[in-house]
Amino acid sequence: MRWANSSGVRSRSCLPRKVTPPFAIPLSGWADAQLAAMAAFTTSSRLTAVSGTMLLGERAALNGFVIPGRHSCGGGCRLFDTRDAPVALTLARPDDRTLLPALFGDASVDPDDNGDIAQRLRRESAADIVARGRVLGLAMAALDEHPVSPAATITAQGLPAAPATGLPLVIDLSALWAGPLAAHLLDMSGAQVIKVESVNRPDRMRQGDPALFARLNQDKANVALDLRQSADRDALIALIRRADIVIEAARPRALLQLGIDADRLVTETPGLVWVTITGHGAAGDAAQWIGFGDDCSVGGGLSAALHTATGATGFGGDACADPLTGIYAARAALTQRTRGVGARLILSMSGIVAEALSNEGEETLQAMLIHWAASVGQPFPAVPGRIAGSVAALGADTAAWLASC
Amino acid sequence: MKPGTKLKSAVCDTEVMIIRCGEGAIECGGAPMGDAKPETLGTPSADHANGTLMGKRYVDAAGAFELLCVKPGKGSLSVSGAALSTKDAKPLPASD
Repeated sequence: MRWANSSGVRSRSCLPRKVTPPFAIPLSGWADAQLAAMAAFTTSSRLTAVSGTMLLGERAALNGFVIPGRHSCGGGCRLFDTRDAPVALTLARPDDRTLLPALFGDASVDPDDNGDIAQRLRRESAADIVARGRVLGLAMAALDEHPVSPAATITAQGLPAAPATGLPLVIDLSALWAGPLAAHLLDMSGAQVIKVESVNRPDRMRQGDPALFARLNQDKANVALDLRQSADRDALIALIRRADIVIEAARPRALLQLGIDADRLVTETPGLVWVTITGHGAAGDAAQWIGFGDDCSVGGGLSAALHTATGATGFGGDACADPLTGIYAARAALTQRTRGVGARLILSMSGIVAEALSNEGEETLQAMLIHWAASVGQPFPAVPGRIAGSVAALGADTAAWLASC
Repeated sequence: MKPGTKLKSAVCDTEVMIIRCGEGAIECGGAPMGDAKPETLGTPSADHANGTLMGKRYVDAAGAFELLCVKPGKGSLSVSGAALSTKDAKPLPASD
């Protein structure tokens, strides 16, 4: 079942007809429409105070990023030419470059030489090299590809929810940007959020970008667990059985290998809405692919739209698949909650970018992209700032939440 | 063998891609792996039957070999008889 078809607010005719601002972040209009819909049905004044521009431009504003060309704002992803279409390749994790000899089938690759990588990619076909990279676990996307998965898919139908007895409880198992933003928006809508981190692999954004981390994770309780210990895994499962919403962004096999069966928990726990964020969906081979905010924006077609509108090759935002997905995920979870029945939703970041693109007014998008391409190297459009609330230390609430299980 | 080469198990469904390769025979379930699957599959030897996990990277103690599991199976991986371990699994402490 396609989630996208289940909500009328996304059809083009229902989007607010706003005057195009002179300079805006691409797809911020779609983001605004999602936030407005959420604010309306939760009647949350805190949600009314955030905008698409604020959330899409927040990291850029905090870090002083400029409009990107072929190098992503965060520096982890680059658009390279191949024999045919350009490809986005993310080399953000320390281990990624060790995979490059296997990507090119040549032990003599200098994995630290971006010039060598660029030269080798020029000899490859985009589709072939992206397919090969994805098998290796690299985050890649071709500029001319179409997402293999829709924005959302339901893989398990759950049980009717029990009557509410307090604030909705949200377990946030995710890290980095998209998932934590989703849980943060749920917190703003009036839920109680517990961020669960692995003591072995805590959210690296806490150190990597403390200012953004504080905005995305403010007001969440924090529980730290060692998921390699069976007692901690049992504690997590017990906590999930009390929850109303779970947000996570692990590859489906990673959770199963840990002994956490999301579909089963959804079919056993009344009302549980489980949102899995993936790069490209969980059907077939795509279940194994990874994706980050910049490469998924390319996989969803944003750089192709930029190219069509302007002839330029570049990124259409700052890792925008992340904040777009965070916003979409929060809305999807809340919409499912209002149905009163649990479900497992698999979201695809590239699918969400494609859906946002197809619902952003065409003229607005054209104007935004033309202005965007002409502004490479300039500061991002001004974003209203917001202050961060209190951030719990790693594991600050472990004892409090696990003792009450 | 070139990095990027795919090898298939002779005793189970396991397939790996070579990330890094030194000197020695790459085996699955105790039997050498090859470019093609044999017509009839053998059985994993009892010492090499712990299975492989999709997407895991396997390394030898010296760090000369690194294999990525692209299809899981019942056999476990070794190089010239010495078992490989998953890359992210930290060794257990010597004493507690």
